[in-house]
Amino acid sequence: MVKFTFAFLLFNFLSSNPIYSQTELPAVSIKTLSGQQRDFSTLVAKGADTITVISLWATWCIPCIQELETINDQYAERQKEKPFKLIAISVDDARTAARVRSFVAGKGWNFDIYLDTNSDLKRALNVNDVPHLLIIKNGKIIHQQNGYVPGNEEELFEKIKAL
Amino acid sequence: MKKIYPLLLLFFVNASLSAQLPSKGGHLGGSFESYTQFYQKDQKINAILPQDRVGSNNYLKLDYNNRNFSAGVQFESYLPSIAGFPFTINESKIVNKYFKYTAKKFSVQVGDFYEQFGSGLIFRSWENRQIGINNAIEGVNVQVSPLSFIKIKAIAGRQRKVFDHANSTVRGADVEIDFSAIKKDAAPTTRVSAGFSYVTRYQQYTGPDHDFPSTAKAAAARLDINGSAASLSIEYIHRGKDPSAANLMSTSTGKALLINSSYAKKNIGVTLSFRSMNNMDFRGERNAIGTEVPVNFIPALTKQHDYLTTNIYVYNAQSLGETGGQVDLFYNLKGKNNKPSTFSINFSHYRNPDNLTSLISFGNNKYFQDFSIDWKKKWSTKWNTTFSYHNLFYNKSVVEGGIYENIKANIILLNALYKYGKQKSFRFELQHLFSQQDNGNWLAAVTEFGFAPNWSFYLSDLYNYDVTKINYPTIGGSYTKKGSRFSLSYGRQRAGLFCVGGICRFVPAATAITATLTTTFNN
Repeated sequence: MVKFTFAFLLFNFLSSNPIYSQTELPAVSIKTLSGQQRDFSTLVAKGADTITVISLWATWCIPCIQELETINDQYAERQKEKPFKLIAISVDDARTAARVRSFVAGKGWNFDIYLDTNSDLKRALNVNDVPHLLIIKNGKIIHQQNGYVPGNEEELFEKIKAL
Repeated sequence: MKKIYPLLLLFFVNASLSAQLPSKGGHLGGSFESYTQFYQKDQKINAILPQDRVGSNNYLKLDYNNRNFSAGVQFESYLPSIAGFPFTINESKIVNKYFKYTAKKFSVQVGDFYEQFGSGLIFRSWENRQIGINNAIEGVNVQVSPLSFIKIKAIAGRQRKVFDHANSTVRGADVEIDFSAIKKDAAPTTRVSAGFSYVTRYQQYTGPDHDFPSTAKAAAARLDINGSAASLSIEYIHRGKDPSAANLMSTSTGKALLINSSYAKKNIGVTLSFRSMNNMDFRGERNAIGTEVPVNFIPALTKQHDYLTTNIYVYNAQSLGETGGQVDLFYNLKGKNNKPSTFSINFSHYRNPDNLTSLISFGNNKYFQDFSIDWKKKWSTKWNTTFSYHNLFYNKSVVEGGIYENIKANIILLNALYKYGKQKSFRFELQHLFSQQDNGNWLAAVTEFGFAPNWSFYLSDLYNYDVTKINYPTIGGSYTKKGSRFSLSYGRQRAGLFCVGGICRFVPAATAITATLTTTFNN
């Protein structure tokens, strides 16, 4: 029975193009820095032209910090080219989650931060490792980028501009 | 439990069929991860050589979403498991399957699930593939919000144990009340919430002791106060008697107190943490040790380090008895022309409790201390550097077990990034660890070339020039495109504690070619 379930899933995956819709974003609960629960699927900008960039990151991940600092430095300037909203979701668990709020303050970042302490969202989005970026428009995941190599932000801004 | 699968399948078929209707829509996502090592003989580091010289861990995960329904499976294949993994198997199996229904005020999940109550001091089921931990619960997880400010969770099931299950049942409930959400119209500047949890683990006992507790019970309470700048959270847990191999068959109860407080304003942040505990090891089976079937989560509350030399002496929380805390300070000194300097300072200190019945008592056996300061400076759009200094004390006898000299060490390191083109970069690290004890002084260097958006190459060496005279060189590269990444490396791996997210396991020395492939398919 179990094997059948798996085969069925695989068949479904291989044989049909999944149909995308607003339901593509998982309704997973994440927390604000002050501990309030939020449904991820409702956070993403609803406006037709508004682009949301989701960054999954952690305080212990050097490439993640490098990437967010680079984007933060150009955030205001790039908004003029094409407006977008950046949401950075920390996957720090109980070991380091308590320091996220002060860490972010000390960086002076200008975007929204949320906590995914037991990786529920990371798992629902099928993200293997951080950093991982997603570009979302009209409730659909348009583009994603795993890892960060300095200069990747150029590709990101180009993608946003082209949307 | 097996009876749920036909049911699951039925819902699956149902959900999939409705996915074919354009008006409703559905989404299939997934991920694949493969980590393969080919081992080489290396007598200089006493590398263990697995019989067939290969280890390969593979994970395939598929999730299907359709409106309120979601379902998924995880297939794992160890061909065999990599050297130094907490278990050695040569098997493949679908290990996790779940079905979930989410409505506005409640959700129900049957099958395998992950969950956490509070900070996890009482209960956490989670997965970490790097260290080989997966204590997903196979059972039922129901969550209800009868009122907008109350959330109730109830779980029951058995824990996953490698490809099998622990022979015990874990049950638990958690209530969280958000007092500041009671008044609907108000948007308070200060939020207050409280939570209560109760968790039990039943494992049959067939021994001769009539008073032996087959059920271990734990209760926890927590309070969170969040102002616009300051915050305070307190969590307390008490666990009843649970004699086990991990606590040396102790017949006393266990308890822990965790306090986190922080102050954060634009460009400055401070966090203070205090934790004290005794006899807090809590597992699904009495004879389990190491990374096997933990019920709760007790990470080392220290700075998580990222560099070769700062990862030599890594602390591991002492759940049987430990008291201490840490302070973090983050500061952004806004420089001129968008050239900021950021500072981060961390100090942590842990020792034995003087008196096992009191949570606020300090003994005279120091376990670990770490002071570090990082200064990161952006010099121009092309250059940025990080300079760090660390001073640490490591009680090797306590952390690793055995009788050793206490270790004192100082570390200095420089990490510099130079972007010589819009998408081209060069990074280098220079590190030195000074110590009179253990293996003495270490030197490390890393160079990395990045060619965005796809390529990255690195060369690194960690060298103990003082005592063992062993080099640990590694060369590697990676190719990344969208949600996929392939990397290949060849080199020597140092034996030591490998810690991710607060759980550590001891990895053996090895020389190997390592290939990893990860991919996410969401679009």
